Amino acid sequence: MGKIFRYECRRLLLNKFFLGIMAALLFYGWQVLSGVTILGVSHTAPFSPWSFGDYLSRMLPLLWIGILFFLTFFTSPGARRTAVLTAATPVTSRAYALARCAAALTGGALLVLLCMGEAAVFYGRMFGWYNWGSLVLPSLVTLLPPLVFALGSGWQMGQRRHCLLYVWMAVPFLLIALPLPEALGLWNGSFFTVYPLTLGTLDPEFALSIPVTIAQLFLLVLGAFLLAQNSKSAEQPIEMHKLPVDK
Amino acid sequence: MKTLKLYPLELGRLLRSRLTWLVMALTALSPAVGLVLYKPAVSTTMNSLYLANPAIAGGVVGSILFGLLAIFELDRACRSRVDILTDAVVSPLTTALTRLLALLTSAVLTAALTMLIWFPISAGWIGSVFDGVDYILAYLLLMGLALLLSILAAASAYQFTRRADLSVVLFVAFCALSLTVWAGNWQLCWLNPCVWALSDDFSNFRVFRSVGYMRLTWLAALSGVWTLSWLCVRQNGKGAFGSIARSARRVYRPAVALALLVCSGMAYAAQPFIDHSNPDLTVMSFYEIPYAEGVTFLSRSAQVFPDTETGTVTGRAAYRFQNTSGQEQSISFGIDPGYGVSNVQANGKDVPFTVSSYQEYNEALLEVTIPAEETVELTMEYSGFPQETLPTMQGGKELSGEYLCLENASFSPRLLNVLPGENGYPAHLEITLPDAMIAVPFGASQAEVVAEHENGTKTWHWEDNSASDILYAGDYVREDIEAGGMSIEFYYGRKHQAVMEEAKAVEAVKAVVNYCTRHYGKLSFGTGETLKLIQSRVAGGAYAAGGASLLDEADFTIANLGDTSKGAVPGETFIHELVHQWWGLGNMFDVTDSASPWSAEGLTVYTTYRIVKELYGEAYAKEHYIDQWQQAVDDYYLNFYVRHPAYLDMLPEAERLNISNSLSSVRQYSEMPLKILKAERLVGGEEAMDQILHDLFNRELDPMYPYLTYQEFLDACGLTEEELNLG
Repeated sequence: MGKIFRYECRRLLLNKFFLGIMAALLFYGWQVLSGVTILGVSHTAPFSPWSFGDYLSRMLPLLWIGILFFLTFFTSPGARRTAVLTAATPVTSRAYALARCAAALTGGALLVLLCMGEAAVFYGRMFGWYNWGSLVLPSLVTLLPPLVFALGSGWQMGQRRHCLLYVWMAVPFLLIALPLPEALGLWNGSFFTVYPLTLGTLDPEFALSIPVTIAQLFLLVLGAFLLAQNSKSAEQPIEMHKLPVDK
Repeated sequence: MKTLKLYPLELGRLLRSRLTWLVMALTALSPAVGLVLYKPAVSTTMNSLYLANPAIAGGVVGSILFGLLAIFELDRACRSRVDILTDAVVSPLTTALTRLLALLTSAVLTAALTMLIWFPISAGWIGSVFDGVDYILAYLLLMGLALLLSILAAASAYQFTRRADLSVVLFVAFCALSLTVWAGNWQLCWLNPCVWALSDDFSNFRVFRSVGYMRLTWLAALSGVWTLSWLCVRQNGKGAFGSIARSARRVYRPAVALALLVCSGMAYAAQPFIDHSNPDLTVMSFYEIPYAEGVTFLSRSAQVFPDTETGTVTGRAAYRFQNTSGQEQSISFGIDPGYGVSNVQANGKDVPFTVSSYQEYNEALLEVTIPAEETVELTMEYSGFPQETLPTMQGGKELSGEYLCLENASFSPRLLNVLPGENGYPAHLEITLPDAMIAVPFGASQAEVVAEHENGTKTWHWEDNSASDILYAGDYVREDIEAGGMSIEFYYGRKHQAVMEEAKAVEAVKAVVNYCTRHYGKLSFGTGETLKLIQSRVAGGAYAAGGASLLDEADFTIANLGDTSKGAVPGETFIHELVHQWWGLGNMFDVTDSASPWSAEGLTVYTTYRIVKELYGEAYAKEHYIDQWQQAVDDYYLNFYVRHPAYLDMLPEAERLNISNSLSSVRQYSEMPLKILKAERLVGGEEAMDQILHDLFNRELDPMYPYLTYQEFLDACGLTEEELNLG
């Protein structure tokens, strides 16, 4: 199991794509930090949980795409063809699926850490500010539910049709353009710019409104449920006739 | 012949590669980068925002992509280890040439594809001022040629080194140089040309000529470098030097390379666009030349013939002097550094003259020795390409069938050291222009047509009384407006007619002039009865004098007219810009204290509010002005950096300036108008404030420091700075 996990991690992380998305994330992140976050949101400091949350919500589309790209490694036609071989090994399909999920999650976590590390460097360099503990909660609230959901839903879609993953990648961009209700404000960042102004104090502590908390919890649970479904479906034997055949 | 045969095969192979199509597609999309990320043209004209920036950004991104593609393609055979086989079939020199041609063709196709894709988008965004010629030239020069240069540069790097990784590093470094260190040098920035603005209403040939010149200089240089690198293409298992020795046996090859490099070097050194004026702007030595003893001015005349096709000027000038000194005298003129002077005669005889290599404020010094005769008629001819001083803000010397501006020494040699006679400096001036152009002398003089020629030109004549002249000419629409007891001639570009009509420009001029004249007084630079308002090509500023005032085109772009910080609707932005004739030009404001909210904007925004209140009522003015100022000021006082300035000081200079500039804009456009409004309340109402502003506007100016200061405003109101604090 550990060996498979390490192997899948190596597949995902030691390639040009991962280096490319890292470079893109770093470049885009620095643009956001130096162009938008530096101004602070809702009259708060650039290093306030609100401004940091706004930064993360702007990075979310790229992270979402990154995670879905990781899944394309496992759901591509080539990977499906090799599934015939992996199915013949003594490792259960469930364990195999779990290892892959864990590898994708690890890749996603590394990308998230990269974004957060970049912000930490930015805050340290620009403001000499190192109180990173206050940023943990907004990070978890902003990123964990959507990324777990991306993994769960992406896996489901990839199993059905590989190209659906690419369509699913456009979702965060669509959400940015849509006027979302307050409960989904974390998805397009509007929560971080609007909610603090309603709290009636300057530099308010980080807090979540009840609708937003419910929405994020729902998303997290749904994502986890979809992931659990994946591992269950992985236990079922592969239907050979559904596999693409080279002609 | 072999190359011609292989070329279609190589092009076909290249166009079958998915990577090529990816690069072509990304390049075709890359102008979008200029809309959001990379905006080198800082002006707010529509063509700058939606044509120059996308085209330059497309050129930068596309060049980098094509450069990398070139290296990838040239390295293909070596990477696949089939070069030994291919070299045995076709000469590596032929292969290299064929590949280059195929890559250049794909770049040309990409540029054409990009132009097709972006044509409707640009036309839609730029709106009524969109011009097809500007569009084609912008994409060809700002983008298309950059792709070719990058392929040549990348291919040269590969052919010299024959290593893909090293070539990529060299190519990227070459691009980075252009984007950073060379960015301010208009001749060196091969990738990102120095284009700060493209005009909407008038032509842009001057800027395009300058970019075209830079591109061609680099094209010659990189073609030369490529030819040299071509000689290095490895043959028969030899190294670089062995291959050169073999390739250079045909002498024409190194000769072509050398000729191209020499051409490029000469083009670089002999550029005709930018002068060599002393960069130290505190030096004004031409004004310190002593007056010629015993010489007084009688009259002068000039006939100017601009060539709107080539952008050059030819002219004849004649000066009549009275020389009572009984000696030869040296007369000094300032002349455009791009002009050559010839046929200098005094009373019909050739006289010696020199033109200095030293230049100052866009003028070279022409010194002519006149004979010891009592009356001297000095005549001379001059011609050339008017030069500019600021390489990063080119375009001011635009000269085409749509627009021209000839200022001072660019119009005719400017007299420096002769005292005026009894009648001052009387001048009889003529210019011959295409039919469609209207000549507008900058000042009270009126030009009239004195001759119409068969070649579609007209000669305009006017009288003046000054040592130098400024002439604007263009395809102008003229509106005559009676307002504030003055006859106003309002000239604006014909292409801008729809925008001006939408903004109700004529009504706005009337409203502003009536209001401001009634409340503050007549403009000091008007003649009292007439005033010319002339829309100039985008120049980064305006000036006013002697019965005329300029309105910079950039203030009236579609985008600017939609800027609600200056007024709620387009017409109100127009009002705002016109009010600057009173606060900004009529009364000047010092700009040295960037930390102070006091500027021309405060009084201008306040006056705009008062005019709008008079036109549309109190409720409208409160909603669209006072409430907006209040909201912006509330946000300003809550801003993190305003509350904690120490954090602002921690930031690097560029970031600090960005933030402080945006904050100072709020202070100037919103805080100061609110303070003036508070002052209005404290001094007893609108009438009292109008009287104060009237007195300030008409106060006696100190010529050494003619600026209206905040302290003067406070003193006139009888208030202190603290009393106007917005608590």
